[in-house]
Amino acid sequence: MGKLAIGCFSSLVGSMSLDFAIKLSEAAIKKGHQVDIWLSGNATMLSKKGQRKFQDYSSLEAKTKDLISQGLNVTACEACAESRGYHKEDTLEGFNRKSMDYYLASCFNSDRVIHIGGE
Amino acid sequence: MKLGVFVNQYTKTNSTLDRIKTDNLGIILVQNGVYHAALKENGKDSDILSKAAKVYALSEDVISRGLSPDKLDKKVTVVDYNGLVDVIFNDYEKFIWL
Repeated sequence: MGKLAIGCFSSLVGSMSLDFAIKLSEAAIKKGHQVDIWLSGNATMLSKKGQRKFQDYSSLEAKTKDLISQGLNVTACEACAESRGYHKEDTLEGFNRKSMDYYLASCFNSDRVIHIGGE
Repeated sequence: MKLGVFVNQYTKTNSTLDRIKTDNLGIILVQNGVYHAALKENGKDSDILSKAAKVYALSEDVISRGLSPDKLDKKVTVVDYNGLVDVIFNDYEKFIWL
């Protein structure tokens, strides 16, 4: 088995790429791989408290929490979050919050890295 | 190098993809990128299908767009998320997202 690092800049709800990252993580974890997800840019909003679930809208919070309980490691970029006005106390339980060098370390000790740009 | 390129947009040209030179290239079509595997423009297939590359399409994104996996171009290998995990770990080393 191996380790996959996924960096995702894509917007929560605004783009399907964050959904892709979560679904890929789910499949990888099911196969016994280890997965780190790094949330940057607008993707940091996935780790913010208070999200509401609307019909016909993508809602990743519950699925992500479930995967975290299965070993998924989700980390939000501290600077990206703070610049968006959301602080440590706004962070969902189980989600980490670290600076950019954490993502570099995560990439360097992974077998595969996929960096999904922002949109 | 074994390079996997994720394509998630359907655009006529992709200058970055055109300039990539590697001995083992895989193109992984996701989201709107799957249209490259199905649509023709003026009767002509997408340029992606004529590249020296193995081409994959994510089945969930194909089906959710009303396309049928068995009607895609024969060059395209349709994979689900499970299959994609194996492609990522077994068939390529580096990845980029265009």
